[in-house]
Amino acid sequence: MHGVYTGLDRQSAIERLLDHYQNPRNRGPLDPVDVVVPGGQPDCGDLVTIYLRVSADRTRIDTISFEGQGCTVSQAAASILSEYVQGMPLAEFEQFDQQSMIDLLGRDVVGSRPRCATLAFNTLKTAVIKYRREWPDGMASPNAGTHGND
Amino acid sequence: MSNLDSKGYAHPEVLVDTAWVAAHLNDPKVCILESNEDILLYDQGHIPGAIKIDWVGDLNDPVVRDYLDRERFEELAASFGISNDTTVVFYGDKNNWWATYALWVFKLFGHQDARIMDGGRAKWIAEGQPVSREIPSYPRGSYQAPERNDAAIRAFRDEVRQHITKVGTALVDVRSPQEYSGERTHMPEYPQEGTLRGGHIPTAVSIPWAKAVQTDSTFKSKAELAELYGSQGITADKDVIAYCRIGERSSHTWFVLTYLLGYPNVRNYDGSWTEWGNSVGLPIEKSYQG
Repeated sequence: MHGVYTGLDRQSAIERLLDHYQNPRNRGPLDPVDVVVPGGQPDCGDLVTIYLRVSADRTRIDTISFEGQGCTVSQAAASILSEYVQGMPLAEFEQFDQQSMIDLLGRDVVGSRPRCATLAFNTLKTAVIKYRREWPDGMASPNAGTHGND
Repeated sequence: MSNLDSKGYAHPEVLVDTAWVAAHLNDPKVCILESNEDILLYDQGHIPGAIKIDWVGDLNDPVVRDYLDRERFEELAASFGISNDTTVVFYGDKNNWWATYALWVFKLFGHQDARIMDGGRAKWIAEGQPVSREIPSYPRGSYQAPERNDAAIRAFRDEVRQHITKVGTALVDVRSPQEYSGERTHMPEYPQEGTLRGGHIPTAVSIPWAKAVQTDSTFKSKAELAELYGSQGITADKDVIAYCRIGERSSHTWFVLTYLLGYPNVRNYDGSWTEWGNSVGLPIEKSYQG
């Protein structure tokens, strides 16, 4: 399990969020891709679309990327999450919860904006669920790199 | 005559323009507060000397769905260097949506001189005015507030329930047309949060809050606003209540109706759709048939 203690003080957590907002990692569509899921907050205009590609053996997140628009926290969180979960076993991500996501970003900074902080996380959760549903055990693997299916 | 003077507002003293703020950056009788939805915008650069006020962390009660009490308000104001006679100027993102929300809370405690910087953060940035990332600190203010007075400008659910049965009243829904019609409560494939049903409170008319501003985020003129609201029956002779989802967008409309148009009886229903739309037994109207 990835540890979520960042060890960052408040100002460092702010600087990291601003860096990811201004220089987003893994931004843009993914091709090939296994699942694409849009997510958003209708009331404040935060939008994140998650692209998920799973490893050929269907056990790990191979790559995720995102597109979106909205507040600093929602977009920086998507970027930070995209780095954090690269290569993570699906089973491990399924144990990763919202509170851990908030801790990953810095509770002192984003704790008052939990919906923004967890938008990308919740969207990725939905993507994994969708992947599991569309490719249940026993079916042929989508085998990332060969097609997109969404 | 400034541009604000030419707009004909009923209470022009509640608005300042960016030039006024630029000229008062070092005025010890003026406190500039930035109130944003985006909690990290301030950290990316703000008006030099401005202090961040956060609607969640500073203005809401941490447990009860309510606003801070008198003691916490006094402490908050004093910690910002605000005294009872300080001119407090609010500005923020999203057409000052959250700035008017913060001002509305200050008015619950009767703060006398609270103003909005017309055009908000967007106009300040667009003009190339100076910004700073320095977090200022000021000597403590001295603040004695009365108990919070909700009666004049805040409406509660049961009051709204009575309101919609009376003549001489008006109710304005300031959310998006899609929320008003009931078409939208959440985005596809995303877990919906906060609203069980889509639609609006019976008798409400739909006037989305942002129709009150121009493309540069400044408010429309009084004549334009009077047409916007008057054409839908939101007139000065009525007892008016505005609502949205949690009362923030409707604080913007409350500000417009109260200060720019001078309506004498306007309240903000901050329970709004997240309360009304989820309450057992309360009627709703829904025009969307999809």
